[in-house]
Amino acid sequence: MARMKLEGVGVAYPVYNAASQSLRKQIVSISTGGRVSAAKGHVATVLALDDINLDLKDGDRIGLVGHNGSGKTTLLRTMAGIFRPTRGRMLVEGRVSTVFGLGAGMDPELTGYENVTRMAMLLGATQKEAESSVPGIEEFTELGQFLAMPVRTYSAGMTTRLLFAVATAVHPEILLVDEVLGAGDAAFQEKARQRMTEFVARASIFVLASHAPDLMRQFCTRMIKLEHGKIVSDEPIIPDPPQDEKAAVAPIKEQTA
Amino acid sequence: MRLRCGGPRTYTPLDGGSRKVCVNSIADGAADLAAAWSRRQLAIYLAWSETVARYRRSTLGPIWLVLGTAVGVVGMGFIWSILLNQDMQSFIPSITVGLVVWQFISGVVTESPGMFVKNATMLVNIRMPVYLITFQAFGRHFINLLHNLVVVLAVFIIFPHYNSWASLAALPGLVIVSINLVAIMQLVGIIGARFRDLEPLVLAFFPILFFLSPVIYRPGQLGAAEAIMTFNPITHYIRVIRDPLLGVIPSLESYLIVLAMTGVTVLLSIWMTGSRAYRLPYWM
Repeated sequence: MARMKLEGVGVAYPVYNAASQSLRKQIVSISTGGRVSAAKGHVATVLALDDINLDLKDGDRIGLVGHNGSGKTTLLRTMAGIFRPTRGRMLVEGRVSTVFGLGAGMDPELTGYENVTRMAMLLGATQKEAESSVPGIEEFTELGQFLAMPVRTYSAGMTTRLLFAVATAVHPEILLVDEVLGAGDAAFQEKARQRMTEFVARASIFVLASHAPDLMRQFCTRMIKLEHGKIVSDEPIIPDPPQDEKAAVAPIKEQTA
Repeated sequence: MRLRCGGPRTYTPLDGGSRKVCVNSIADGAADLAAAWSRRQLAIYLAWSETVARYRRSTLGPIWLVLGTAVGVVGMGFIWSILLNQDMQSFIPSITVGLVVWQFISGVVTESPGMFVKNATMLVNIRMPVYLITFQAFGRHFINLLHNLVVVLAVFIIFPHYNSWASLAALPGLVIVSINLVAIMQLVGIIGARFRDLEPLVLAFFPILFFLSPVIYRPGQLGAAEAIMTFNPITHYIRVIRDPLLGVIPSLESYLIVLAMTGVTVLLSIWMTGSRAYRLPYWM
């Protein structure tokens, strides 16, 4: 039983420039009392998320859409617990797994096998779980003996195979995905899509941020549109009736343009 | 189940308030520390694999590290024992342990202000305890220290007259200093992520402390300037590890100073983690 509830969640963060991030400025502001505090007010604050209300339960399949910078990634990071909301309340029940920022913790000097252990453990697996995921990863990536070679010898496509395989090795209850199915050859694309389908099917709650309308229609049942950090629309996705295709695609295309 | 909220002291659990996860900064920070400790296996694996990766392409691998220390010890040992008119028999063991401990402390402290910035991709993409990043960074330095112990061992085989059971008193000293260094790393790391001037500041000024620490000199050789050395905490870190190895019982004063520093920095780092560390991803 997984659940994720957000009540009036907001994320605002200051963007420090060199002046406000330096120690000198802080020391000067101590020595000159209140006067420089006006300068401190110049620290720009970005309101990345504003008053987000969501209640996600078992079986929810959410597609997040919106322009670049509309807050999709920030929302995913907040749901994942990486960003702590500066406003509002939040409840998360269930094991959260993320498929974004692939490659965090990867060391190109180490072999494929060693990187599998590193990254799987970083994503929350124990060393045993990480090692037991190896046969599945060997089979999925088809990298063969390259898995025993340093990752720096891999092509971009091979690295994608490895990263994608690791990210989808552990089955989570809540799955958060920031569009990933970009690289790789056609055969791998197809394979990745299959694995993704299985992966999504097992998760209780699934959230995907993407600009690709066909991915949305394949994986999601509900579409949430963000604009300037606010939810502007929240509607069900009609699953692909052929005669209605234009109508279903059109609103999504508009946002990705 | 995990609960999160808009900052310290504002937790209002949605499910009726039976589980208040974080009451204040100290509890928050302690929870982070406990979470990191329960995943120490990962920290060790990260530290170890990074060390391995660094040496994989060189033929001599980890021997380079040991060799570097050995060359430093032999070179400095000979030159300074001649310059300072010292007896090599007692001077070389002293400078060896002093140098190895100094390298350990200096490596940890100079890395800390840039540590979180260097691990930015992990911080913004993976939810993990903040202490875990410190653990793995400290782990690398500790592995280096273990390498260097080979040099210490060799020197003590060549100059054997110090060996006694009292030498084991160096172990508790090393443990306290290690705990202290982890706390300093976390504390300086968080401040350094927010104030980017801290890293060049530490890099510029920390080496001066080398000359204010009893690595080359020994107590009694500085005369009137000795007082400065007493105020340098690193002096006492070196003493509680080195003195037992040289057959001297460290002074109570040194132990008290190291313990007090450890207590204060551990508490400060836990408080800082609870009250500020959640902002780290925003500062990257």
